[in-house]
Amino acid sequence: MNRRKFLKATAALGGALAMPSLIKSAQAADSVKLGCLFSSSGTMANIEGRLSAVVKMAADELNAKGGVLGKKVDVLVTDPASDWPLYAQLGRQLLQQEKAAALFGCWTSVSRKSVLPVVEQSNGLLFYPLHFEGEENSKNVVYMNSPPASSVLPALEYLMSKDGGEAKRFYMLGSDYVWPRTINKICKGFWKSKGFAETAWKEEYVPFGFSNFQTIVNNIRKFAAEPGGQPIIVLTVVGSSIPDFFKEIINQGIKATDIPVLGLDVLEADLEGLDTAPMVGHLNCWAYLQNVEAPANAAFKTNWANYVTKNSLPYKKDTIIDPMVSAYDGVHMWALACEKAKSTEVDAVRAAFDGVSFDCPSGYKISMSGENNYVKRGVFIGSVNDQQAFDILWKSEDTPKPVPFSPYA
Amino acid sequence: MKRWVLAMLRLSVFMAAGAGWLAAPARADGDARASIVDRLCTRETEARIAAVDELLAGVARKEIAADWGAAIIGAAGDASLKCGEGGVRVIAKSGRFRDPLTLADVSESSAKLAAPFVNLRVRAAYEMAGGLLLLITAPASPLAAKAADDLQKHAGIANLDALQMAVEAQPSPDLAGRLQAIAAFRALRHPDLERRIAAIGKLADDPTERNRTALLDLQGDKTAAGDPKVAAALAASIASIDRWLQFSRLMATVYSGLSYASILFMAALGLAVIFGLMGVINLAQGELIMVGAYTTYLVQEAIRAAAPGILDLYLLIAIPIAFCVTALVGVLMEITVIRHLYRRPLMTLLATWAISLLLINLVRVFFGTQNLEFVTPAFLSGGERIVGDFIVTYNRLFAIVFALGILIAALIILRRTKLGLFIRAVTENRDMAGCVGVSARRVDVLSFGIGSGLAGLAGLALSPIYTVNPNMGTNFIVDAFMIVVLGGVGSLIGTLIASVNIGMINVIIEPAYGAVAAKVIVLLLIIIFIQFRPEGLFAPKGRR
Repeated sequence: MNRRKFLKATAALGGALAMPSLIKSAQAADSVKLGCLFSSSGTMANIEGRLSAVVKMAADELNAKGGVLGKKVDVLVTDPASDWPLYAQLGRQLLQQEKAAALFGCWTSVSRKSVLPVVEQSNGLLFYPLHFEGEENSKNVVYMNSPPASSVLPALEYLMSKDGGEAKRFYMLGSDYVWPRTINKICKGFWKSKGFAETAWKEEYVPFGFSNFQTIVNNIRKFAAEPGGQPIIVLTVVGSSIPDFFKEIINQGIKATDIPVLGLDVLEADLEGLDTAPMVGHLNCWAYLQNVEAPANAAFKTNWANYVTKNSLPYKKDTIIDPMVSAYDGVHMWALACEKAKSTEVDAVRAAFDGVSFDCPSGYKISMSGENNYVKRGVFIGSVNDQQAFDILWKSEDTPKPVPFSPYA
Repeated sequence: MKRWVLAMLRLSVFMAAGAGWLAAPARADGDARASIVDRLCTRETEARIAAVDELLAGVARKEIAADWGAAIIGAAGDASLKCGEGGVRVIAKSGRFRDPLTLADVSESSAKLAAPFVNLRVRAAYEMAGGLLLLITAPASPLAAKAADDLQKHAGIANLDALQMAVEAQPSPDLAGRLQAIAAFRALRHPDLERRIAAIGKLADDPTERNRTALLDLQGDKTAAGDPKVAAALAASIASIDRWLQFSRLMATVYSGLSYASILFMAALGLAVIFGLMGVINLAQGELIMVGAYTTYLVQEAIRAAAPGILDLYLLIAIPIAFCVTALVGVLMEITVIRHLYRRPLMTLLATWAISLLLINLVRVFFGTQNLEFVTPAFLSGGERIVGDFIVTYNRLFAIVFALGILIAALIILRRTKLGLFIRAVTENRDMAGCVGVSARRVDVLSFGIGSGLAGLAGLALSPIYTVNPNMGTNFIVDAFMIVVLGGVGSLIGTLIASVNIGMINVIIEPAYGAVAAKVIVLLLIIIFIQFRPEGLFAPKGRR
């Protein structure tokens, strides 16, 4: 074998190896494909990676009951590597080459915004499992989680109430991208409508993956000591910045009783490496919390634990986060809509969404209406306990009607 | 208004307790206990806060035992006080069951029990009461200083009678002074002029932003600060606090700068040896840091399994192990890959990048993607307030001291040992060193090992500050190259000076322009600097 032949052979082999590694698929004769766009590397890897596994678990459940419309459900997993343009590229590949019937994916809003033109152009269907800033209603995206009007604003209202400590001043700290900036804009509009002056808040942004919070926490303490009433922190940093931020405020002696943190992207998984005893009382708000007492939740927890053990996945068996449940709900609601439409064609499925409902592990019966592509979810406010989880501080009476466009923005 | 309501509540409580005391002195404590526990078991915020206040008032009048108060407040705060239907009350903690009234052991209850949810207002009251009762029951305890610090944050709701009792019980004059400052916080609007002026003076002794705010607030209140004597005392106190606050802010900035510098320096030091002395562009440097952190984790787990008694010392025990393991990884890299690529620097770039990906994915497969949980040893958790609002956090102090330690060790190896002599000889002139009998190959392996080991130590020192997961290394690589290039390739002192500069500039810019802009400005400054001095701050003299 001469050098040229060797090079050709390696190039061909390399190409062959690279192709399926981008998209892993199991071919079946009569099957319908679902695509996953969740990063298993990069800054979002710790939390986003497990969503692919949940989608697979939900698909397994469907297959065990005979699949969807008699077809087996196949899940194609990709790794967009926390690289926002790569989400769009892989999304296009899944829709156009693999003909995926629906996509499940994205965590950060910037990744959703990057996939949006792709799904709109190819008329695909993206199930988005995160609570987010709202201000968007694409017919090609199913918003599985709550817009700010039904999650963030109730939590702020609680913190501004007497039992929540009568918050009067607000330090907004976020990662520098569209979700924190829009959320903060909505918050500011909300506070203005409540009669707060502009001096009542301060806004600060850090780059993705930022970890040196010392100076910022010093500033927060200074802000908190200034006159004007009880301060709170509205935290919208994402990814690995969350535990780093909490480590710093613990070391500088800030407790929930002096400056409570409302961590809008803080999940059970972010508390995994932390000693949560000094941070008891900090808050978050989601459409699902691990400690919910509901039969559907107990079943989901057991299924996940078994699934992790069976496939020896590198995730904790007993940590379940809201976006996992939302992605799981997404697969089932898609299947229900398909059965109702008797088709897996995007237009037919979309038309069938009106009135589809599902028993979510959160204990609420979640549903969709024909008005928009949002799912009606119940909402919880959680409070960190010393077991690396959240106690339920408040839960909505019912599933509030989602309001995609905030009047405060 | 709120103050009025509280005062009325306190008055009524006082009267009720007084009446009870007159009627049945012997049973008073027992009855009071039952009534307090009953109210701590409700879901009502106001009732629970009133119960806490009544408890403290009772303790201050020596009618309720302070020990019992501390136990019950602790149990309510950590949700081990469980309440059930029909007045069943139990303190259940780590398998032990106690009667909340007598604190005697009881058998496990079969009733359905739940701890009432503690919201933020109730939690603040519990923390205030817990701090006060600790200061009353164990005034000389090592936790007393921390309790006083916590209490200061709740100065607005502290029970004054119990606070007075804590002041009297306090043996340390320093702590007693701090407690008096908390009492002064509440006496700022005291009707008695003398006491008001004394309180204003007292607050100036503890120059925090919070006290300054309180004084400014008082200054704006014409009725309370109208008297010329009060006004003069206020002006003097505020001026004094301002001076101290400026000083404390300066100290805080310097400390933040040093701490950031120590992190940058540790991330860059290994690279300074590998890139600086050997010229290898090692993109896997960040992953070597990660390997160090994971080794530390394994040491921690091993100690937890074998000798849990010395778990707090795991960071120190891990120092040689983290160094050796990472050095070994580095030596393996050198022998298997990098050795063959010394004459092709671009290839090393690709090869080391591939190694970094390999290491990340190996760790992901074996450990998973989640953040690792490190035990924070007692000597590294929390911090000490030095002056004003300046807090020295122990984990960062550890990083600074540790960085200095490894700098000195590295300097000694390079300047004072034979190996260091060889390394410098090979760096300055490889062929000539070979001619006089230095085995360049061996020196390469060893210096690569040392460079990697230093990165491993960085991983160890960073584990109490940053989150440890497979991707942690990627955050450091850009900073590390930046520092090494700015400092001057091949100069450890240059690396040190460059990290201190970047750290300082960063913390000075950050509060004014934000973290995003700070990063951009620092990079721009470096680009401009390198334009004029491409060899960096300290260029080693010699032939390269």
